[in-house]
Amino acid sequence: MLKRYPTVRYIVTRGGWYFLTFLVAVTLNFFLPRMGKSNPIDIIMAKVGGGLDTKAAQAKEEAYLKEFGLVELDAQKNIRRSADGKPVRTPVWKQFRNYVGMCLRGDLGTSFLNYPKKVVDIIKQAIPWTIALQLPTIIFGWIIGNVLGALAAYRRGIFDGVFFPLALLANAMPFFAFGMLLMYLFAIIWPIFPAVGGYAGNLVPTLSWTFLSSMAYHYILPFFSIFLILAGGQAIGMRSMCIYELGTDYVKYAKWLGVRENKILMYMFRNAMLPQLTGLALSIGQMIGGALITEMIFSYPGLGMALLTAIQGNDYPVIQGCTLLVTVSVLCANFIVDILIGFLDPRVKAGIAGGGK
Amino acid sequence: MKLLLNLLKTPMFVIGTTIFFGTVLVALFAPMMYHVDIIARVGMPYMPPGKEHLLGTNHLGVDMMSLLIKGLGSSLYVGFLAGMIATVTGTLLGIYGGFKGGWQDDFITLITNLFLVIPTFVVLILISSSLKEGRSLALIAGIIGATAWTWSARAVRAQSASIKSRDHIALARVNGEGTLKIVVKQILPYLFSYVFMVFIMQTASGILSEACISMIGLGPYDTVSLGTILNEAMRNEALGDGAWWAFIPPMILITIIVFALNFINTSMEGVFNPRLRK
Amino acid sequence: MKHLSLLKFMVIGALSCGIISCQQKKPGTVTEEGFPREKTLYLAGFQWGDPNTFNPLSDWPAFPVGGKYNLMYEPLVVFNSITGKIEGLLADSPERTDSTISVKMNPMARWSDGKPLTSADVKFTFEIGKRFKGAPTAYVWDFISDITVDTVVDSSASGEMKLEKIVFFINKKERNNPLVVMDILQNIRIVPRHSIEALLAEAGGELAELQKLKFDKDPVVSGPYNLLRYSNEKIVLKRRDDYWGCMALYNNRLPQPVYIIHPIYKSNDHFSIALQQGNLDISATFIPRIWLKAKEGVATWYKKEPFFIPATIPMLQINTTRYPLSDRNVRRAMAYAINYKDIRELAVSGYSPPILSGLILPFGVEADYCNAEDIQKYGVSYDPEKARAIMKEAGYTSVFDADGKLNHVKNAKGEKVPTMSVKSPAGWSDWESMVQIAVKGMRAAGIDVREGFVDASLYWSCMPVGDFDLLMQKPVPEVTPSKPWSRFDAVMSSRNWKPEGEKMNENQGRYNNPSSKDYNPEVDNLLKRIPTLTDNEEKIKAYRQLNIIFMQDMPALPLAYLPEQFYEFSTRNWINFPTEENSYAPPQCLCYGAGTKALWEIKSVAAE
Repeated sequence: MLKRYPTVRYIVTRGGWYFLTFLVAVTLNFFLPRMGKSNPIDIIMAKVGGGLDTKAAQAKEEAYLKEFGLVELDAQKNIRRSADGKPVRTPVWKQFRNYVGMCLRGDLGTSFLNYPKKVVDIIKQAIPWTIALQLPTIIFGWIIGNVLGALAAYRRGIFDGVFFPLALLANAMPFFAFGMLLMYLFAIIWPIFPAVGGYAGNLVPTLSWTFLSSMAYHYILPFFSIFLILAGGQAIGMRSMCIYELGTDYVKYAKWLGVRENKILMYMFRNAMLPQLTGLALSIGQMIGGALITEMIFSYPGLGMALLTAIQGNDYPVIQGCTLLVTVSVLCANFIVDILIGFLDPRVKAGIAGGGK
Repeated sequence: MKLLLNLLKTPMFVIGTTIFFGTVLVALFAPMMYHVDIIARVGMPYMPPGKEHLLGTNHLGVDMMSLLIKGLGSSLYVGFLAGMIATVTGTLLGIYGGFKGGWQDDFITLITNLFLVIPTFVVLILISSSLKEGRSLALIAGIIGATAWTWSARAVRAQSASIKSRDHIALARVNGEGTLKIVVKQILPYLFSYVFMVFIMQTASGILSEACISMIGLGPYDTVSLGTILNEAMRNEALGDGAWWAFIPPMILITIIVFALNFINTSMEGVFNPRLRK
Repeated sequence: MKHLSLLKFMVIGALSCGIISCQQKKPGTVTEEGFPREKTLYLAGFQWGDPNTFNPLSDWPAFPVGGKYNLMYEPLVVFNSITGKIEGLLADSPERTDSTISVKMNPMARWSDGKPLTSADVKFTFEIGKRFKGAPTAYVWDFISDITVDTVVDSSASGEMKLEKIVFFINKKERNNPLVVMDILQNIRIVPRHSIEALLAEAGGELAELQKLKFDKDPVVSGPYNLLRYSNEKIVLKRRDDYWGCMALYNNRLPQPVYIIHPIYKSNDHFSIALQQGNLDISATFIPRIWLKAKEGVATWYKKEPFFIPATIPMLQINTTRYPLSDRNVRRAMAYAINYKDIRELAVSGYSPPILSGLILPFGVEADYCNAEDIQKYGVSYDPEKARAIMKEAGYTSVFDADGKLNHVKNAKGEKVPTMSVKSPAGWSDWESMVQIAVKGMRAAGIDVREGFVDASLYWSCMPVGDFDLLMQKPVPEVTPSKPWSRFDAVMSSRNWKPEGEKMNENQGRYNNPSSKDYNPEVDNLLKRIPTLTDNEEKIKAYRQLNIIFMQDMPALPLAYLPEQFYEFSTRNWINFPTEENSYAPPQCLCYGAGTKALWEIKSVAAE
């Protein structure tokens, strides 16, 4: 049946492929953090066990092992014990089975560090900030970078001579380093922008003008520290793409035919755009990673901050929740770009119609 | 040879290589000329640059110049090692898949695409946060290399698949030459410049990755790198105390190394792909 | 492009709505213009992660519940770290007899819902620990055996009054330790029986279920503030104008700040920037080089070194079961080899007075027990020559390379002595530098020690099982009535001695193995006896004895003195904070111990 609807078929096969990737990502997400030998319960115990005597600490520890499903329980929900009285640990495969089951139900577990807070709640509070910061920066950085890159390729001359090395320099700088620099210059040396946070400390989120303007004010430095670097990187790619397109036969032919310059530029832009789109899909993971670190620099209340806190406290469930979320959003972004390419690229379209690869 | 000459005529290439080898020379030879000591406290915390300490001191009163020299070496080392691992693994898998075709190729492509989509950053965090003891510089390079090989594999596979269908390969086949021999004699030379470019890009991104990982506090314990210097500066109020010498120099170093590598890469692209020149 | 900018605004608009809707909401409490600066006190350093829960029965609830804070829930009594006195709060100061400690409840104490706070609440709070092993109050039953309530008649000028007297019986069978009972009285925050009992019944009588409740919506509290709202960025408390203590303790005056906001910064330098820019009023974090910030109005308890009141001792705990650390001479040589002056000046920004040998602080409340003669006789100080001499005498030969660096050490039999390492969490910069300076000194003196910085989580895993040679740590940092006994207990007690690999929550260095031939029963005897002593002379004698044993055996290497809690304040928006010259309250950050009373005394700059 699918054969009759090649587009649907394309989307379904791509979707299936991404689902497979998702499963692999979930597996990695579970096993990688468990490679180390430290035990998260010890961290909890270090927090609560301070003044306790050894015996009391032991009782408390077992209560937590039970709570996090790290020990086997008997029918009465008591901890199963081996002959020497020690609790029997749950084998890793069983933990994995529980983990996958929970993930599919949308439950990412409970934070070790912020017990009894659910990981989903932690992420829910952080995610709007991250999207608000990253989606516009990535989209606009990409668009503006590409336009500038195409212009540089087409105009060459002084514009290119100045612009291109600058773009290369921007591309060579890590996001966070640029963020630190901006913070030092514009929040400390010449404090015209706030150094940290997502909004002023005396406010609470409300739909008021004061809050929104404070939010916008705090948005500027993190935005530019990601945006400029990102646009620079995109511009470099677009520039070489366009230079390449300039040398192709169709451009030469069009020029020879006397087609208007703007129109040629449009054609060229469209053709060079496609590989750039694919490039976006591939690098989106890296961008998000870099942008997360920028959030950390500015103590921006997003996912990056949540992740950093979790890494410092070895809070596996939160680390896993954040990484899983980043992975899923990268997969989704890729999927969307894939579909876009499917509709935009005549070659892929032809392939879809032909029903082949 | 001719290519090399062409390259040397490109100002970009000359600038890039000069800067890059400059940093390598500093990392290699500065310790012989300058007394590098990253443990001893030679002054008070955050002493500004002066006669005694050219670049001042860090929050513990350690000479910044020493830290930078040591950190530069570590960062270059991580970059090279990670770049090497990523390039060699990627190239071998790419050539094998591209040349062999069949289910092996499908399998390698599947794995490559799989890991290409899963963000490297995520895998890096997951692995580094689980390694508690002995997160050495080499290990970090290994982790970076192990997560970065995918795009070299993908790029090389595409190239070798296109070379595969050329006539001289078919001819060699007809002559009964073994696969390995064909790969070594016929394919590698064609791919060499390409692989080299991949290596340069991988080195650059290895240096950046190390800086990112160190910045979030998952850097090496056994030594300093440019990333850990930045992390320490950030954590110890270099920004608030106005100690620019504690974070601007390592920032500049990272940027110019990566900048130089990008420059080299772009210039090589121009030479190997003549249409980019004008 | 027009469409794009429109799109941008739509996206941002939609997202900001998302951000707002995801926050805790409680309409009509704050103006949209934010909290008025002159009525708001910004205080930070107690909450680092996202606020998890405000459940007073949880093991580690968010600020200001649990721990030692007195803003929402209150203890029976509070400890004044300057005078060393126990001051009354919900009850008056305790009376001690041989077998009991008793307090009289303050009859004016009320919950926020108007119900009286009585002995029934106190009993309930403690007895939760009896019913549930997982409760934060469970441990108290090793120290008390029973709680009874009597009614006493108090006659004063204003007439006769019936008061409730709560009697805590010291658990003679288990620990027999009145000192810890004193600690307990100011550690345990009383919870409202009437509301919690109902919730517990709803939770099916399971404490684990009750602990999952967040108590973040209008909780019933007794303290001067209550939770207004919270998010991942801040916790906001609002003054309770009907707080019972205003009448009963403060002559009908209200605390000055209407709001207390605890912003949650994730990085140390943000505290410093915020203090200097006047966005934060009090911080309890380590801020290095504090004197550089004085020009921005940032001040501390003392105007000059050591800036803070020292109260705790960061130290290197030694695993005394591992060779060669099992050799007392090696431990003593180590103590002689450390340059304490460098540690003080470089590692802790001069925030420590010069250190004396032993486990007793030579000033403040503990000064009584510290004996200069003993320290002169048995103590150690920085003396690398002496360190080398001890090593040599004990039969060790240190082999140095040509460039003067230590290569290895041989013992009397000519075998190579294993290299030891100091475990310390990576990234804790002041601890890292202390360890580096200590290691540098020891190596120079010919003792083969290296730094071993590990991830904090691994550090916590290694500590209880004794998986270390030397371990950087700061045992029992809180200032409580049981000091310095609790510090000795944490370092030297072999009450629960277990071999390496099994967990111990005190004496992780496994000093004084009870089943070895070198066992010194005197240590455990003294640790058991001191808490029961009431005669000051006897106490001094016992502490002297214990400190001498410590100095002779060196089961740990004290490195510096640090405050219980750092205390930096900015005078840009509020003034009259307690300081050395104006010591009307201890520097307890206005939110715990006896420090809370400063909330009534600080003044807003704008209001002046």
